[in-house]
Amino acid sequence: MTVALAGRAPATFEIKSANLPLVALLLKSADLRGLAGELQARYGELPEFFDHDPLVIDLAPLPGDAEVDFAALVKLLRNHRVIPVAVRGGSPAQQAAAREAGLALAEEAQPLRPTPVPVREQPVEAPAAAAPLGALLIDKPLRSGQQVYARGRDLVVMAMVNPGAEVIADGSIHVYAPLRGKAIAGARGNTEARILTLCLEPELISIAGVYRTSDAALPPEVLGKPTQVRLEGGVEGRLVMEPLELAPAPARGKP
Amino acid sequence: MARIIVVTSGKGGVGKTTTSASFASGLALAGHRTVVIDFDVGLRNLDLIMGCERRVVYDFVNVIQGEATLNQALIKDKNCENLSVLAASQTRDKEALNKDGVERVLKELAEMGFEYIVCDSPAGIETGALMAMHFADEALVVTNPEVSSVRDSDRILGMLSSKTRRAIEGKEPIKEHLLITRYNPNRVDQGQMLSLEDIQDILRIPLIGVVPESETVLQASNQGMPAVHLKGTDVSEAYKDVVDRFLGNDKPMRFVDPQKQGFLKRLFGSR
Repeated sequence: MTVALAGRAPATFEIKSANLPLVALLLKSADLRGLAGELQARYGELPEFFDHDPLVIDLAPLPGDAEVDFAALVKLLRNHRVIPVAVRGGSPAQQAAAREAGLALAEEAQPLRPTPVPVREQPVEAPAAAAPLGALLIDKPLRSGQQVYARGRDLVVMAMVNPGAEVIADGSIHVYAPLRGKAIAGARGNTEARILTLCLEPELISIAGVYRTSDAALPPEVLGKPTQVRLEGGVEGRLVMEPLELAPAPARGKP
Repeated sequence: MARIIVVTSGKGGVGKTTTSASFASGLALAGHRTVVIDFDVGLRNLDLIMGCERRVVYDFVNVIQGEATLNQALIKDKNCENLSVLAASQTRDKEALNKDGVERVLKELAEMGFEYIVCDSPAGIETGALMAMHFADEALVVTNPEVSSVRDSDRILGMLSSKTRRAIEGKEPIKEHLLITRYNPNRVDQGQMLSLEDIQDILRIPLIGVVPESETVLQASNQGMPAVHLKGTDVSEAYKDVVDRFLGNDKPMRFVDPQKQGFLKRLFGSR
């Protein structure tokens, strides 16, 4: 008789190790009212800035004797669509309080350090404020099975999007080549988003959840042509496809 | 330095193994020391196409797992002196392949003085296919003139440019070649097949050759003889052109224009 049962895997589960990218919140004060106010000021107008992202609370900047109301902090953060899962740093008392509130200890969670920028000879003028996130720019062709998501921004693709590929953006999508895959603009509900391409042959186009497949052929005046797609009438509305009028370059030499 | 070439497609049944056998044989006939490896562990076929199935004692998996040396496992081809075959195991599955083992075998083959290492990829996009492409310097993407094959090739091209060692280490990308097999210009004319232009419009990589649809291929595989050896046939000529172009010689594309059928042939059928 063979004794092969010892190593038999359970049928209902399997334990595997996994990694997760986290957002880190460096907590500089235990004053939750102040924190709530500043969070509201910073992100209040962007209710969808976070998308239920897991978060680690970094207690390192906090004075060791500060008492944090973790239950209230978790509730506050959850209201901003982030999900605190762990703390790192802090005094033993603070860590104990965090654990009491159901948070894990994650000492290994290291914030990403930006890679050092090569030193330039000419001093570069520092930008006055953090530059707004520009469009996500893709230079390479997107082939079947590949997917790009421009989160919270526009997407510009300089090469073809092949059948079976997906381009998704929270803002608008520009494709300066044939668009033959799926294009999903306004993925988080922005009804003002548009899809622009030099050659419209998509499998599917969608703006703010209003979609159209190519099952029914697209109108001949836009199929395979430079086209703009926009949403008319909000989420209950319909997609409007218009041929792009590419204006000729202005004649040179005019006064 | 040995060049590693993966013959891949995503889709099954398009002619990867046929191509691997004829391409490797062609390189050997041109005087280059070549080895062809079957990565299709569990569904090995290359040895049949090469006609060496009765001489397989040790295989690729045995070498990876240290149960045999490369010298024991390499089978000398009966047609070309410069060609060796490394067969796949029929009793194992793809999980028997691992990156370290494959890398070690490829390195050892290079040290043995092989100039070209041709990796015959299995179909699909799982471990076997990933292992076959991982260390490649160049890729022959085998495509049939039909939409599903073209889409699968497109997927494979995406993986070649993102999942392979050259892509991960940010080195010069894998050199990609498009090889269209089972092409029938007359059926393209009748709208039954995609044309060369249709395929290239989607895939957009350089075309290295077109192998015409032919009964010769079936005949060759049943005989256990790579099609390139069947002298005077279209398929043999087409594969020789492919090897020539691969080695840097300029050759005009053949077998791409429809042939007018004569009156008698039309009357009595084309067979």
